[in-house]
Amino acid sequence: MKHCDKCKITINTHNNYCPLCQQVLEGETDSKVIEKYPEYVSLNREVYPLTKKILMFFTFVSIIILAIINLASYDGKLWSLVPIGSIVFFWILMSVGVFSRHNIAFKFATITLLLIGLLILIDVMAENSGWSYNYLMPFLLSSCNLAISTTILVRRIDYRDYILYLLTILILSLIPIALVFGNIIDITWPSITSFALAITILFFIIFFFPKSIKDEIKKRFHA
Amino acid sequence: MSKDLNYDTWFRLDNSGKIFPEVSNHRETNVFRVGVSLTEKIDKDLLQLAVDGILNRYPMFKVKLKKGLFWSYFDYNSKPFIVEELKHYVCGEIHPKKNNSYLFRVMYRNKDIVIEMFHSLADGAGVIMLLKALTYEYLVLAGKDIKPDNLVPTKNQRPMAEEYEDANSKFYDPKNKKHVPEKRAYRIKGTYLSEDLTGLISGTISTSKILQLARENNLTITEYLAALMMYTIYNTQIRYRGHIKSNQAPVKIFVPVNLRKHFPSNTLRNFSNFVKTDLVMTEDDITFENLLAHVKERFEKGMTKSELIRKMSENVAFEKNVLLRFTPYFLKKYALKIGYNMLGMKLNTMSLTNIGRIDFPESMEPYIVDVTAAVYAGKFNTLNCSIVSYKDKFKITFTRSIIETTIEREFFRHFTDLGFDVEIESNYVEEY
Repeated sequence: MKHCDKCKITINTHNNYCPLCQQVLEGETDSKVIEKYPEYVSLNREVYPLTKKILMFFTFVSIIILAIINLASYDGKLWSLVPIGSIVFFWILMSVGVFSRHNIAFKFATITLLLIGLLILIDVMAENSGWSYNYLMPFLLSSCNLAISTTILVRRIDYRDYILYLLTILILSLIPIALVFGNIIDITWPSITSFALAITILFFIIFFFPKSIKDEIKKRFHA
Repeated sequence: MSKDLNYDTWFRLDNSGKIFPEVSNHRETNVFRVGVSLTEKIDKDLLQLAVDGILNRYPMFKVKLKKGLFWSYFDYNSKPFIVEELKHYVCGEIHPKKNNSYLFRVMYRNKDIVIEMFHSLADGAGVIMLLKALTYEYLVLAGKDIKPDNLVPTKNQRPMAEEYEDANSKFYDPKNKKHVPEKRAYRIKGTYLSEDLTGLISGTISTSKILQLARENNLTITEYLAALMMYTIYNTQIRYRGHIKSNQAPVKIFVPVNLRKHFPSNTLRNFSNFVKTDLVMTEDDITFENLLAHVKERFEKGMTKSELIRKMSENVAFEKNVLLRFTPYFLKKYALKIGYNMLGMKLNTMSLTNIGRIDFPESMEPYIVDVTAAVYAGKFNTLNCSIVSYKDKFKITFTRSIIETTIEREFFRHFTDLGFDVEIESNYVEEY
């Protein structure tokens, strides 16, 4: 035990100063005493690796240059949105798809939706021939459906975390069919196939796992 | 009614718990800690086994926080809980991604077991229950012959639904929910420590002596300490400086009240409210006796049943507001955040939490040295104080986010001047 003359307190420590008044402590402490609180260990702050810094720098510079060139030579077309969109997509793919710790169903759903958006943008900016929403949108939604369903089947323990994203994608699979009726999509078989797949998966869940959907909806939507 | 623990288990956040996830960050962590010192070195593996056993008994702690459309909620957490060694952080942010999504930590060091908990999950009384159960389980696994004596819950009991109830809404009175506007409180000034550091100084004095001292003044211990705290703040920070604008704000000591003692409920969730001192201290001749009288008056007014229900209903009414209820979560988040930053936090100078006396069964007492409690210190509440007593050890712990220790020094000197023995512990944050 050490003590401080000034504050008249006792303290069991190997440190030499009174924590209250910074005066030198008197007395001896048993060498077997272990400090009550651990010593400071510097935080391992995440420092951006050089590659990321370089990539960041070029990303910002190219986005600004692309935008400036596009605006300076503006002829009615915002073509710079295509490369800028691709660059942004790359970053989201990296941060959400690869490096984040989000659950896998969330990654599938987010990346698929963004990819569809990007492809439609490219299509519209180019010739507007409709390949993106005629073919790619239904196919991408279908593959996302299949991917999440497979994940649920394989990693059943976490199915409750995934089912919401599956439902989201299932509902979004209705969009192509709606577009067919709105006469925007002229090639109908991919949309119909995708819709059929979505409905099959939905009925599969409703018939075989009705409770899981009910519970998930109850949890997520309680007010 | 009991509820089986399985993958479908989920819980709503309780009324006070709803605010914390939105307003917490690495600086305002809203984390608090309780710890127990045993007589022997802690065995990590036994502690791990003890925690695993306890988590089956308390499904409400085996959860992660998830977002819904309107509110966030606690969902069953299938990942394993892992005990860790105590680091230098005091009540640091509990980052879900680094903690297997759990909202509390169990740590060990030498002879100490420490639990740190996010305030959304439980309040002081709830976490003390967990600490008792964990200590009991640990000592049993360590081969000690001890009995629970109905003072500690054991892992063999069944979980009870009343342990998870949101007691605040149970006592909600829609007729008694008037909002009383408050002024911003005085902020204790000082030089900030670097962000990942929190200073901790605790002093142990004799329970019987301080009880006697409070009784001599016709007050409870908490009232006496709240008055002393105001007097210390006044002497070290405000006296003769009343002409400075920032010193003209009222000093408000926030004292949580454990509502389980006032209303029948066994919940482990948040079920506490508060009383506050509130005094502008610009005059130069405020005496300690003035403050004792002020605190006594404020506490008597604040602790009446109707006033406690009013404060409770005020919060619950906010949650029951139809407009807010059906605002999607991602918007509501910002509403809560802005509201809390504008008001909530800045209405208190500091918090003084008295967890009270901890009783262990007689057979456990030989193995337990003392109990500690601490709360986080943030950017506005730069100094906080929590008190817990076990047998004759009355432990007052200050946590601070500033370098200066003048308030602690004067506070403890008050007791040494009265002839008390004070034993100090510090994490020596100023040495780094």
